[in-house]
Amino acid sequence: MDIQHIMGVVDASFAARQSIEKALRDIDRRALNAMVLVKRHGNALAGYGVVAQAFRERAAILKTSASHLQESIAPLIEAYMRILQHQRFVQSFQEMLSDSPLHGKACPNLISTQSKWQTTIHEEEATARKILVQLLEAVQTLQEGVEEQEYIVTNGRIEAALAESTGAPLMRVSRDMGEAVRTVAQAIRSYRHQLESLEHESSTRL
Amino acid sequence: MKAAPVFEAGSHRWWIIYDQDEHRVIDSNVYVMESKGQSIILDPGGFEIFPQVFAAMVEVIPPSSLKAAFVSHQDPDIASSLPLWHACNDKMEWYVPKLWEGFIRHYGALNAPLQNISDEGGEVMIGGRRLEFIPAHYLHSSANFHVYDPEAKILFSGDVGAALLPPGHDAWVDRRDNTGRAFEEHIKKAKYFHERWMPSNAAKKNWIERVSQLDIQHLCPQHGAIYSGDNVKRFLDWFDKINVGTAII
Repeated sequence: MDIQHIMGVVDASFAARQSIEKALRDIDRRALNAMVLVKRHGNALAGYGVVAQAFRERAAILKTSASHLQESIAPLIEAYMRILQHQRFVQSFQEMLSDSPLHGKACPNLISTQSKWQTTIHEEEATARKILVQLLEAVQTLQEGVEEQEYIVTNGRIEAALAESTGAPLMRVSRDMGEAVRTVAQAIRSYRHQLESLEHESSTRL
Repeated sequence: MKAAPVFEAGSHRWWIIYDQDEHRVIDSNVYVMESKGQSIILDPGGFEIFPQVFAAMVEVIPPSSLKAAFVSHQDPDIASSLPLWHACNDKMEWYVPKLWEGFIRHYGALNAPLQNISDEGGEVMIGGRRLEFIPAHYLHSSANFHVYDPEAKILFSGDVGAALLPPGHDAWVDRRDNTGRAFEEHIKKAKYFHERWMPSNAAKKNWIERVSQLDIQHLCPQHGAIYSGDNVKRFLDWFDKINVGTAII
């Protein structure tokens, strides 16, 4: 396990999570603004009202999916840190055995204890990998949610063009919605790349 | 373990990481102060709880922001995680009591950058904020320091104020209670700790005299729960009255 790689991923995932949370808050706010605008214009913007409602509902679903992401990251980091912790034991036994092969002969328990810790680490690596796979699935779900949201934004643009005569600033609202969705999509992509680099490392090691 | 905010003013923040899941070792609180993207961890904890402290910490700050660690004294629940933190970030500076440097290196980080705090105390700047190292010798260790943040009005008080609480405990002694009843209930769980672990009434009196001059909004111990607002004075008054260590043998 390359601890500096893990640290890089933890840093990047912290930044990505913050960015996702901020972008989701932004999406929620923009969805609310759109709903208010529709209410103000009554039936004239009924078509856009459907879009704004869908956008808001999707935003709530995205928030829920993001919270599942949050639930999985802490156990993953904890699992990696436990591996780091137990590697210290293996290393100290290794150093003793390397100092003199006689240590192993005089005290066979040194070798068996070292081997026991090695087995523990393998089990912990398998656990970490399982959590990582779950986390990647959660990211996948979130990405699918964002794709749905992008589809709604496209529909919003069409409705905005159709309702241009009402004078409501729907094009601007749609553009803002699109911008917020793009930000979250980018943050998730970057997060996914980080996680995949970890997955790649653990697969090549196994 | 979980992280909860203690103080926040712009980019200046304090967190407590508390309620550990491993119950075979004494339950400990770890604190983090962050300012302008730099942070310091206070009494980062024992080897056995490192994974959960780290996982809870990265919920609130990125690990690369850690510039320093403060070690109040030499005990294993304070600093035996040092080699693991050092493996994660070998640039972190470790502020430790000078008297204990050679002991703390026994935890397995011969090359870690330790900065000695002399008996008189000192200070450190983190993200433009000044933190003061307040001498608290013989409370309980013979070379012991607390940390005061004059802007946040927080005193990290190490083992002073510690209480032995059950799993699932709250981070604060109930702040909504104005009657003092919550404090009275809580302090029963702190009494034995102070009587047994604090060796000297004289050291205690001296510390109370000095600390009473500080403006403290939150008194944050390394075990138990935070005393805020009126509970700070309630604690100092209570501590002043009890006999500890050699006085009760």
